[in-house]
Amino acid sequence: MAHNELILTNVTKRFGGLTAVDALTITVEPGQIYGVIGPNGAGKTTVFNCITGIYKSEEGSVNWRGEEIRGLTPYQIVDRGIVRTFQTIRLFSQMSVAENIMSGRHIKSTQKWWHAIVPTPGSRRDEKENWLKVGELLEFFNLEEFAATPTMSLPYGHQRRVEMARAMAVDPTLLILDEPAAGLNDKETSELLELIFKIREQGVTVLLIEHDMDLVMKVTDYLTVLNFGKKIAEGTPDEIQKNPLVIEAYLGSEDDDDE
Amino acid sequence: MKALQRFSYPIFFVMLAVIPHLLNPRWQAVSITFLIFAVVALSQDIILGKSGMFNMGQALFFGMGAYTTAILNNHFGWPIIATIPMAILIPALFGILLAGPIVHLRGDYLLVVTIGFNIVFVQVLQNNLGGLTGGPNGIFGLGSLSIFGLNLTSQIAVYYFAFIVFLLTLWIMHNLEKSKAGRAMHYLREDQLAAESIGINTRSYKIFAFGLGAGIAGLAGTVFAVQYSAVSPEAFEFIQSVLFFSIVLVGGSSVPGILLGVFVMFVLPEIFREFATWRYFIFGFAMILSMILRPRGIWPATFGKIPKFLIKESKNGA
Repeated sequence: MAHNELILTNVTKRFGGLTAVDALTITVEPGQIYGVIGPNGAGKTTVFNCITGIYKSEEGSVNWRGEEIRGLTPYQIVDRGIVRTFQTIRLFSQMSVAENIMSGRHIKSTQKWWHAIVPTPGSRRDEKENWLKVGELLEFFNLEEFAATPTMSLPYGHQRRVEMARAMAVDPTLLILDEPAAGLNDKETSELLELIFKIREQGVTVLLIEHDMDLVMKVTDYLTVLNFGKKIAEGTPDEIQKNPLVIEAYLGSEDDDDE
Repeated sequence: MKALQRFSYPIFFVMLAVIPHLLNPRWQAVSITFLIFAVVALSQDIILGKSGMFNMGQALFFGMGAYTTAILNNHFGWPIIATIPMAILIPALFGILLAGPIVHLRGDYLLVVTIGFNIVFVQVLQNNLGGLTGGPNGIFGLGSLSIFGLNLTSQIAVYYFAFIVFLLTLWIMHNLEKSKAGRAMHYLREDQLAAESIGINTRSYKIFAFGLGAGIAGLAGTVFAVQYSAVSPEAFEFIQSVLFFSIVLVGGSSVPGILLGVFVMFVLPEIFREFATWRYFIFGFAMILSMILRPRGIWPATFGKIPKFLIKESKNGA
């Protein structure tokens, strides 16, 4: 059965005695904007790390388009069309915006290792094509004027955009965003909202973690709520807002809810 | 200033092309040494500067190339020119084999392991492995370079051999900058996790960097063996690796920075002959000062080698 979705079944990840993710089962349908929310320390980022191959879950299965991807390395998972951003932005900070985005073209480039020593007309053409693609992304993310600027000298909101542009350069099927609105002001957040919709229009499934409830309720089609590594609820944003368990999890743990 | 930048490389190359005819034999020898060590330092830059791996054993690959040429020529009677492919391939292969199990090590751990390799290598040479390496005295009396029946014995011919190898190295470095593999090295140095998460197999590119750096150093080794028509273990001691390491660090992982470092380290001591014993002292202080004042090197590597058509209204320039 060739499905086109991401299915997590009973995924469990332990750190020593702590069970960070406990038998989590979720299904992300193609074309969805899927949200994972929960109080701090609920294991949201750990779930993402298990999907993207940074951690290997002890139990359960991570199935992507009918293929088991648990235990693959991060770059093998990117090769299958899943790409992520980080909660704490991880850009190549000394390098220019264009070069950062170019890194996403790495797996799409057809160059072989010997082209690094002796280039051929074919490798030059490939190089040119990928830079043109970077040019398109600079335009899409409205970053053209910063093409040659090192990313470390950009404001935070722009860095977020560069990171998303870099992820989109891979031509992903599933884009995973780890708290994309963290540290953004209201204006930047509403721009982000539009960006996420525009990305979905291109046929990309989006899976995101977010603290900003306003954003989550506006942008997502479907939500899963985690608390202490366990799924306590799932449903559409409307259903979630009315769910008493969710309200309790958020109100009952307000002390550790703020960052 | 722009014009100066554009013409600086051609002028530099023309200078290097005519310089042996203006110098006496002693200075010709110094120039050859400069070119050889520049090539080794550039090969070290691929591993240390571009890929950010603390390799403290570059003299090993340099020596392996020199010994490959010497052994094949002296024991097996190969002409020097025929030993060149082997002098590149054997160190490159060893680079890949040695790097395979150790590239996952971080910073200082990798440093210690590569020091170990270098020491083992010199010990093996000194103990006359298989009766081939000639023990502590090394191997003497190599044949001279000959191409198409022409015997190139003169020092000027050796200089041009070194010059060609130097140009070839610069050309490879230039190609590397404009390739997928070369950028992958930059990415993994900047942030390994981010590089993996964007689809780069960091391990294979680290090993590639070692293989390429080792191959180029091996080629420089051949030129070194030809220049002295002899090889001996002390030229490839661990302290030589330290020099190449510090040249890249102090120079700043850019071609001009590295050439400057090689000049200061190997040519200046010849100019101030009477102070030659002071060179480590002076270079030591230069290292301390440059690391305090310019932590990214005297002539830091510039990034932003992106096609012109992408630069619209750059405020900072490329």
